[in-house]
Amino acid sequence: MDIPYTVTARPDTGLYNAKVGIWLFLASEVMLFGGLFSSYIFLRVGADYHWPVHELNVTLGFVNTLVLIFSSVTVLLAWANLKLRKIGQFKMYLAITILCALTFMVIKSFEYRAKFSHYAVKLTDGTFLTGHLEDGYEIKFGEASKFTLTIYAQNSGIKADPVNYVLPLIEGEAPKFKTEAGDEITLTKATFQELQKDALVKAEKAGKSTGTIKLTALTPVTIHAKPSKILNYTDTTISFLDGTVAEGKLLDDKMTLTVDGVDARSVPDAENSLAWNNHYLGESWKKAFIANRDHAEEEFKTKYPSRDPLKSATHQKEAYYLHIESSTPPAAEGEAHGEGHKAEAKMEEHSEAHAEHSGHGPKVTLEKKDIAFWSNYTPKLNTYYAIYFTLTGLHGLHVVGGAIVLTYFLLFDGKMLREDPERLANRVEVGGLFWHFVDLVWIFLFPLLYLL
Amino acid sequence: MSAAATTHDHSHGADHAHDHHEPGFFGKYIFSCDHKVIGVQYGMSGLLFLLLGFFLMLLMRWSIAFPGQAVPGLEFVQSIPLIGPLFHEAIGRWAPGGVVNGELYNMLGAMHGTIMVFLGIVPLGFAGFVNYVMPLQIGTIDMAFPKLNMWSFWLFFVSGVLMLASFFVGTGAVQTGWTMYSPLASTTNMAVTNIWMHGHTWWLTAMVFNISASLLGSVNVITTVINLRAKGMTWMRMPFFCWAMFVTSFLLLLAFPPLEVAALLQLVDRVFGASFFLPSGLMEGGQHLDISGGGSPLLYQHLFWFLAHPEVYVLILPAFAILAEVIPANTRRPLWGYKSMVYAALTLGFLSFLVWAHHMYLTGMGTMMSTYFQITTVLISVPSVILLTGLMISLWGGSIRFNPQMLFASAFLPMFGIGGLTGLPLAFTFIDLALHDTYYVIGHFHYVVAPGTIFALFAGVYHWYPKITGRTMNDFLGKLHFWPSLLGMNLIFAPMFIQGMGGFHRRWYDGGKYFEQTSGASNWITELSSNIFGLFGMDVPNSLLGLNVLMSVGAFILALGQVPFILNVFLSIKGGKKITSDNPWGCTTLEWATPTPPPHGNFTFEPVAVRGPYEYSVPGCSQDFLPQWETEPGKAATAPASTPAPAAHH
Amino acid sequence: MADSPEEIYKSIKKIKIVGLLLGVFTIATVLLSFWELPTHSLNILVGMILATFKAGLVALIFMHLNHESKMIYKILAFTIALAFALFFLFVFSAHDPLVFSGLYDSNQ
Repeated sequence: MDIPYTVTARPDTGLYNAKVGIWLFLASEVMLFGGLFSSYIFLRVGADYHWPVHELNVTLGFVNTLVLIFSSVTVLLAWANLKLRKIGQFKMYLAITILCALTFMVIKSFEYRAKFSHYAVKLTDGTFLTGHLEDGYEIKFGEASKFTLTIYAQNSGIKADPVNYVLPLIEGEAPKFKTEAGDEITLTKATFQELQKDALVKAEKAGKSTGTIKLTALTPVTIHAKPSKILNYTDTTISFLDGTVAEGKLLDDKMTLTVDGVDARSVPDAENSLAWNNHYLGESWKKAFIANRDHAEEEFKTKYPSRDPLKSATHQKEAYYLHIESSTPPAAEGEAHGEGHKAEAKMEEHSEAHAEHSGHGPKVTLEKKDIAFWSNYTPKLNTYYAIYFTLTGLHGLHVVGGAIVLTYFLLFDGKMLREDPERLANRVEVGGLFWHFVDLVWIFLFPLLYLL
Repeated sequence: MSAAATTHDHSHGADHAHDHHEPGFFGKYIFSCDHKVIGVQYGMSGLLFLLLGFFLMLLMRWSIAFPGQAVPGLEFVQSIPLIGPLFHEAIGRWAPGGVVNGELYNMLGAMHGTIMVFLGIVPLGFAGFVNYVMPLQIGTIDMAFPKLNMWSFWLFFVSGVLMLASFFVGTGAVQTGWTMYSPLASTTNMAVTNIWMHGHTWWLTAMVFNISASLLGSVNVITTVINLRAKGMTWMRMPFFCWAMFVTSFLLLLAFPPLEVAALLQLVDRVFGASFFLPSGLMEGGQHLDISGGGSPLLYQHLFWFLAHPEVYVLILPAFAILAEVIPANTRRPLWGYKSMVYAALTLGFLSFLVWAHHMYLTGMGTMMSTYFQITTVLISVPSVILLTGLMISLWGGSIRFNPQMLFASAFLPMFGIGGLTGLPLAFTFIDLALHDTYYVIGHFHYVVAPGTIFALFAGVYHWYPKITGRTMNDFLGKLHFWPSLLGMNLIFAPMFIQGMGGFHRRWYDGGKYFEQTSGASNWITELSSNIFGLFGMDVPNSLLGLNVLMSVGAFILALGQVPFILNVFLSIKGGKKITSDNPWGCTTLEWATPTPPPHGNFTFEPVAVRGPYEYSVPGCSQDFLPQWETEPGKAATAPASTPAPAAHH
Repeated sequence: MADSPEEIYKSIKKIKIVGLLLGVFTIATVLLSFWELPTHSLNILVGMILATFKAGLVALIFMHLNHESKMIYKILAFTIALAFALFFLFVFSAHDPLVFSGLYDSNQ
């Protein structure tokens, strides 16, 4: 009693089981990526900011496209050679396919890495400054001695855990703390648990659902915290992820950014953007910006006299998004710079080439009050990057999944290869169908995310 | 030989086909690849989850009827060793003094919906029945991909465990309703130490598992139907059960991915701070959120309802599937209009994808969209009515056996009718604007799903129980199950229409106590209910608010009514009446041609379908049914396999 | 499906040609994206037509949809119809042609 039609096709449908299965699975995948692509359309149509065009590294995307197309060809050749029983060739082509998948993922990871270390800061007037945080960004909070820990008896996603969430952020050695009872302790898991128990007993007696522990550091401490490591802060308090609140004084929350671009597209009056503030980029960069803009506008006018420059996304980007390559502004001579800039704007933005350049941009120290929003180039930055990471991430998962299946065929199906090569050919065909689908998705992804 | 080990997809070579080793206990009952075991696994977990979801509902109903009063027994349950602490962690810690508060009510509401729909009805109604019955009915030995089938169940199991475990996370379970509308669902309860340890995150992850499980299941079902039908089993000789399940599988296959997208995007929103569903300038508590904005809450609703409307038909089609077997068998009449019912089911499946935004009239998505969706929504009532009418006319002129399955089946017809007809007004924007999110809507879809689908599922359990165990369920207990259930269901859901038209909002945890303008109104029904309670010495106000008590009493009756069922399921395994034939109900479809219970590999002969599926009371035939596999009509129709097969493991 | 050796040799040749074609069209897509058409939407349109053509090649030749069984066509036709419904209705909801601007609109 075998399940029928695992190798040969059923006469009336002309299909073997796995083929029906894989096409159904692909139909479902069409709906999955269909949902994502229609989200893309929805977000792009409704976007209230300048949708990035040509912002990703086109060269890398292009290479990746070719890699995937090539692998699609080789997986077919592997199948054809297996059908012809040329085992050596079959194995070679399958191996090449898997190597292509690896290459694709390696290139992808380089692309991702470059994004994670690249930041964009939105100033309160809508200007974006892009660049790198070479020294990181930390909030410095000093003279903190009074710590208040809230212990929730139950019902809370916030759980006091100062050993893991507070102590690591304290500069230097962790100090000794004085408890309310007057004991001097060093804060460890054990001592904290004891304190927690006492606080809960006290809370229960008072009929409250939360207890508090008050600790005083014997020597006031300074706290260095990345913003992701704390909940929030004010001028006098800082609260940690575990709910602990410390009182003290905010020392520094300025952000030092090595600027590699000024995007003034969303500013009503780009010439008066905050970025040209004297303690930020200053007048000379403003001049460079204006020269670049005027040049771009003139060029656009001569090239496309009948078109509205406001409606050209590419022109808007060239005119109002200044790329900064050196720490001193160029002498605002116009022509020569403009030409150079245009060529450079096309291919090189945000590539890892940029990471090498990053030491060269001017450094500005931004005050917190001028920052409306900031993020590195992750899903948080805007909906474009959100959909970019989701789509390519999910596509990457499919590549990995497909590669694993193909590797399995190559390495662990030796026995079937000897005994029932026709069946293995069916398997490779089915695996290949999936692989082509992954390629097909990328064929749409590449222009939508990288080019248009 | 093991069918599982020789499948195309996952076997490790041909060697397994040669050794006849019996699988051990785990291979046989836990990680089994046999479609029947998987069907029972799905069915039992589905029933368990239905019970759990029902229990959550009881807590909600108490809170609605008696807000601010301690739930009786809640403190006591927490004092039971072992179960008590567990219960305390899940529910009790949110109810100080045994009083359900708003937060807990929100959790219960969200989880009641999720559990009932995704972990209760779909696994039982679709996965359970389709796995057990469909391969038997089309005459094959197993599903096309048995290993995938096992994976499907275990992925579902993981999703169930994650969903339940979310009660135990520090934040408690998710609180934003089963629809998880953003932006609320993207931004609430974000102040947590670790965003991964969040009930919401767990819910979304569980959904991703659940969706993968139904994906594998539906691929399997469709492939099996397309490629593994027995000789002579042409498309139009397939029982309607298989047709309806076939359509359902397509709905699951194609509608679930957009929900997976929605769940993934919301996960990215919450965990990585993206703004897929968050518009620019969103504020919370007077503060700008630390987000980029630029997204759209409408996007979430589109993605969600693109699944969730077909999901409604995923819930109801299995019910029709089951009834199309139960009703002809117990009226001894052919199914009326088999062909038109098949086409209606197909049309229903297709149209169900094009009506989703009628859940979104209130979002301001645009008049053209609303008009379009009004039209499709009205259109879709046509195939639904054809299905219901087909079943109803099948009763005509039959000699009906009122055994428990037929009682449930015949109650389904008017109950589903009420649910369907009350849905019609909601299809129109101008009425929906008034009734949106009121108890009217709750009443409408509960009539469809609770006394509708769930009754059909009960009918199915009673109908196929003898095939699974070799014994019938107890008739008396069955009737004791049916009547209180029917009464309870109607007591709960009928007053909802009245309350809904009175403006009761669906998410009031206090049942409207603090909304005097709406809840103070009265009419003759409220008066009647108040008077009846007066006879028992209870002081229930003569107002819409008073109906809450009536509904909660109904819920209590419904709860009591399930006790005989639970007893019946378990006691009948050993104590039920042994069946003497493999075809105790005198049915015509192929599942009754197998030995009882069916052995591994199902059939002891090669099944061939020689005629249509519903040949009951054929003129000139010596008995009132003519099975599909019977090659020599006129002779006594017994399955050739009535002697138990030697391979049967039992 | 090509089963005899000659047919397979023939299909290998076809596969290689199509692979080459895909490469060429990819280059064309990239170049086109740097050439500004009157509106950016036109750029998108042309880019998508090219992409669809490429996808069609992959589906028809690589996935041999040019000679597949009827059942697969039925399933895919259904799927693609639904996927398109998904695309277009989303777009409609952003641009509603039937918006009633109101009796009291001062601009009219």
